[in-house]
Amino acid sequence: MSNPSTTPSAPTGIVLNIQRYCSHDGPGIRTNVFLKGCSLRCKWCGNPESIRVKPELSYDPKKCKGRECSLCLKDPFPKGAFYFTEGEEGPVKVNWDLTSGCDEASCSLCPTGALEMYGKTMTVDEVLNEVEKDASIYRTTGGGITLSGGECMLQPDFSAALFGGAHQRGINTAVETACNVPWTNIEKVLPHVDTMLHDHKLTIPERHKKWTGVGNERILANFKRAYETFPNVDFIARTPLIPGVNADEEHIRAVLAFIRPHKNVIDYELLPYHRFGLGKYEYLGKVYELDDYKTPSDEVVKHLQAIIDEAFGRTRQADPTAK
Amino acid sequence: MVGAGFVPGMNAVIKGVALAAGHLGWEVIGIRDGFEGLLRPERYAEGGLLHLAPHLIENLDPSAGSLLGQSGRVDPFHVRQIDADEMVEEVDRSDELLAKLKAERIDALISVVGGQGLTILYKLHAKGLNAVCIPRAIENDVAATLVSFGFNSALSFTIEMLDKARQAAQAAGKIAVVEVLGSQTGWLALQSGIAAGADAVLIPEVPCDLQKLAAKLKEKMTTRRPYGLVVVAEGANLVDNAKAGTDKASTLKASLAPLALGDNSSHVIQRSGQAAETVANRLQLLIAEETFPLVVGPWARAGTPTAVDRQLGLAYGAGAVQALNTGQTGVMVAFVPPDIRFVPLAEAINKVRTVPPDNEFRRTAQSLGICLGN
Ligand code: SF4
Repeated sequence: MSNPSTTPSAPTGIVLNIQRYCSHDGPGIRTNVFLKGCSLRCKWCGNPESIRVKPELSYDPKKCKGRECSLCLKDPFPKGAFYFTEGEEGPVKVNWDLTSGCDEASCSLCPTGALEMYGKTMTVDEVLNEVEKDASIYRTTGGGITLSGGECMLQPDFSAALFGGAHQRGINTAVETACNVPWTNIEKVLPHVDTMLHDHKLTIPERHKKWTGVGNERILANFKRAYETFPNVDFIARTPLIPGVNADEEHIRAVLAFIRPHKNVIDYELLPYHRFGLGKYEYLGKVYELDDYKTPSDEVVKHLQAIIDEAFGRTRQADPTAK
Repeated sequence: MVGAGFVPGMNAVIKGVALAAGHLGWEVIGIRDGFEGLLRPERYAEGGLLHLAPHLIENLDPSAGSLLGQSGRVDPFHVRQIDADEMVEEVDRSDELLAKLKAERIDALISVVGGQGLTILYKLHAKGLNAVCIPRAIENDVAATLVSFGFNSALSFTIEMLDKARQAAQAAGKIAVVEVLGSQTGWLALQSGIAAGADAVLIPEVPCDLQKLAAKLKEKMTTRRPYGLVVVAEGANLVDNAKAGTDKASTLKASLAPLALGDNSSHVIQRSGQAAETVANRLQLLIAEETFPLVVGPWARAGTPTAVDRQLGLAYGAGAVQALNTGQTGVMVAFVPPDIRFVPLAEAINKVRTVPPDNEFRRTAQSLGICLGN
């Protein structure tokens, strides 16, 4: 765990990662801050390490020294969580069902860093000090901080404090959310937000439930209410495009019908699905559920992008690799 | 309770438990769909628990699937649910499960489970549950027993399919490359391959050099016998698969499996069907013979149990009751011919029964001229 806050009243949050020099999540060059915890379970999730709220173990077998070390077979590691198979060399094996007792302290005993915890508790100032390092880049490019996840709206007080603090420091703010949270959470965060990127994953409620775990009725209601309650926020709708799930005209047209009446929804972006997160599943001992899914073809992306461009009255030729 | 993953003839085990327990005057309650029947009883119009009364058991068809169903997940420590705020989360409901078992006046739990299920029951036992496990594993990968329930039926079915594949290959004058179950261990591939007279068997335990395999097949394919049969376990260990341009994403399962060697190694477990496809494509390039991939894999999980599994199921069921009757809990029933034994769960978990180098089946395969790709 990181040092406790110097101002004990300031909220702390569980931060997964801070990534500098990002260019796809809001205007300009930005620093993405990923918070831990999500309220959906999209089968194609590229950030499995962000799903659980609590910090959790990650294991990189490539770094393990194997039998000659064997430290994690002893106290204070949970009994049976790490083991070697008889007559076999190579990295230690993990029984993921027995690892819940691992924590930062025990992981720090692993000499090679093969064992680590995903997620650490940080204060608002700790995060903002890191973000502020690129203040000059934000000024020249129009960038700033983007809060992402998981679902950052699950830590609304921390998110609101981060954005409030960022604005005080003159840093532009963007949030990336699926809005599957109570409206009260959104209401706390949005007053401090310049741009809200939000996911329209599937249109039909039962399909949304099939692929993400819940229906989308509340999500859509939240979007609409956000558009109407916060006219000065720039909203950018997005769809992670997955063949066989949502990469079809029907979905795109339905999203356009939903967003176009609202003038503060300034764009609709397609995010062609790529198998990015799979290595992380390995580190977490989870099996990727969407094993067979493919990246959408350029033609499909171009076709769907053209529909969006037309709806937004643009004539530019879509570049499917731009996102 | 019946754990996740389908194997043929689960009713035989249920019947074994119910008959043996009934003999002792015990009452037997079945839990539907893993722990679902207890944790989400509202899903069942007729209740999540099923009283396994003598008249029900008397007429239970041991050749049928599971009277109790099974669930995709049996882990009460991570139950995925939607909270009052419509948010998805995983919660630990193990305490609630134990309380519910108590409230239903269930004194002990007999579970038919595979590898992961054993760990879950080990954890529940550590929390005070009187647990006895019966090993169920199509791949026969549970280490503490010689034969897990379900393996023999899968083996018989796979042999039958291989026979058909060989006939198809013969008729077409091509090489059939048939993928069978076995992501971590090669028992099914090896034993079925021997029985069906395969030309080659590729298993996870033996790294296979496709060049050598190709040379061997070429030698075997003559004008008199212009066809071939190659059996590939799902988790076959192809040493040149990097060259085969294997999608890196498909190495994922390998790293989760106990045999996995990590990213820079060559042990790749692919999704169902990919192993057959990769091997068929590579061979076709290497020896200029036509190949065709077939996937038996998942088909072997269903169907009618063999006589061996029916007997084994009844014996395992009765054995579990015997364990409880002699005051043993926290154990797995193991079949180590000619005995039924009770192995502590702590010793049964974290072990995978793989095919060792000096195994009799491996020697048999070699004597029969079956290429293992090494
Ligand atoms: S402590 Fe780290 S390096 Fe040592 S065996 Fe465990 S994981 Fe490997």
